[in-house]
Amino acid sequence: MNCEWREKTNLYADGELEPAAQQAFAGHLQNCTECSAAVLEQQELKKAVRLAGKRFSAPPELYATVRRQAGSQARIRYSWWKAAVVAACLVIVAAVGFAWYSGTRETNATVAQLVDQHVTMLASANPYDVISSDSHTVKPWFQGKLPFTFNPAVPADSPFKLLGGKLVYAQRSPGAELVYQVRQHRISVFIFQARDVHGQASAANLAFTVNGWQQGGLQYYVITDAAKEDAERLRSLLQEANR
Amino acid sequence: MSGLEDKEFEKLAVPLLDGLYNFACWVSGNPDEARDLVQETMLKALRGFASFRQGTNFRAWMFRILRNTFLTSRTGLERRNTQQEDEETFAEAAVSPETPEIALIRRANTELVQAAIAQLAPTWREVILLADLEEMKYKEIAEALDIPIGTVMSRLARARQQIRSYIVAALSEKKVVGIKQ
Repeated sequence: MNCEWREKTNLYADGELEPAAQQAFAGHLQNCTECSAAVLEQQELKKAVRLAGKRFSAPPELYATVRRQAGSQARIRYSWWKAAVVAACLVIVAAVGFAWYSGTRETNATVAQLVDQHVTMLASANPYDVISSDSHTVKPWFQGKLPFTFNPAVPADSPFKLLGGKLVYAQRSPGAELVYQVRQHRISVFIFQARDVHGQASAANLAFTVNGWQQGGLQYYVITDAAKEDAERLRSLLQEANR
Repeated sequence: MSGLEDKEFEKLAVPLLDGLYNFACWVSGNPDEARDLVQETMLKALRGFASFRQGTNFRAWMFRILRNTFLTSRTGLERRNTQQEDEETFAEAAVSPETPEIALIRRANTELVQAAIAQLAPTWREVILLADLEEMKYKEIAEALDIPIGTVMSRLARARQQIRSYIVAALSEKKVVGIKQ
């Protein structure tokens, strides 16, 4: 009745021994009737408690309430976010209007169009044509759809994450919209052939940061509500990737 | 927290509902109160989900919120005030190896085992429910109940010993009664 292993029966039955000790105990059980009976009893007891203890099941209305709670939480945030987008749109409309009357119509038309596209993407339930964080999926997706190519890859250790891409048109020319995430903000990068689409990139009066440049015969625009520094950083990463 | 995280939360939390509700029923002893506890737990967890660290144990985290919610409820406060347990003084040696009663335990029906669980001190009951129903590891139980692993082990041993004695006593009595008849 005094096997030295006996006090470990609880641990063994609960699978709490280290793998080697568990194995050693299993070996011991072959030769010790006292311990094997104790383990068997533990297992029977565990089984009995498990069966009897599962006494109450959550009623269906509790499931429904919990799902609603999770859903409404999302809705509250969503409506807040929608209101923010509407507000941002109003600011853009006002800013674009202001810019229009300031006589910079030609310059800002493209940018305003692209900002509209960025806001449409933010508000859309299906913001991407191709959803992937892998640049090797996004890049080939544009092949055959665009008469040019580019590299959407950003280093894995950068704060930017590729979310997907979309085929867009500006001034009747096809282009790519790449969407990146930085913290809670989304950034659109528009790429067109430089001869098709041309516009001054600085848009100081817009609520969004717009950063544009030409490289390798292509016109790029970065549009986001994230900080200017983020737009600038993504710009240099993409410039580097497409060098 | 984004909509995506809400979806993630729902995916992780809904499968735990039955276990949480069952546990809440056992600790509160009242299905209505249990429902409120689970609902409140879910709301608290949903709000705190952003601060929940991926890679840590979600289940233990949820049970911990549930238990803390219970302990601050009226029933929970009453329980804390009336609790007079000194199970921490329980020494490992107190579990004296007895002759296994496998046959008796096998004969125990659900009601008897439920009665045996019900008569346990609340702090022991929690441990055995998490160990045998939720099949949590000692480490997870320690996390969920905010107690040291050693305490988990001693409470568990004590709870099992009591359940076993309860069953053995009940069925032996019956046997004696049966002989008398």
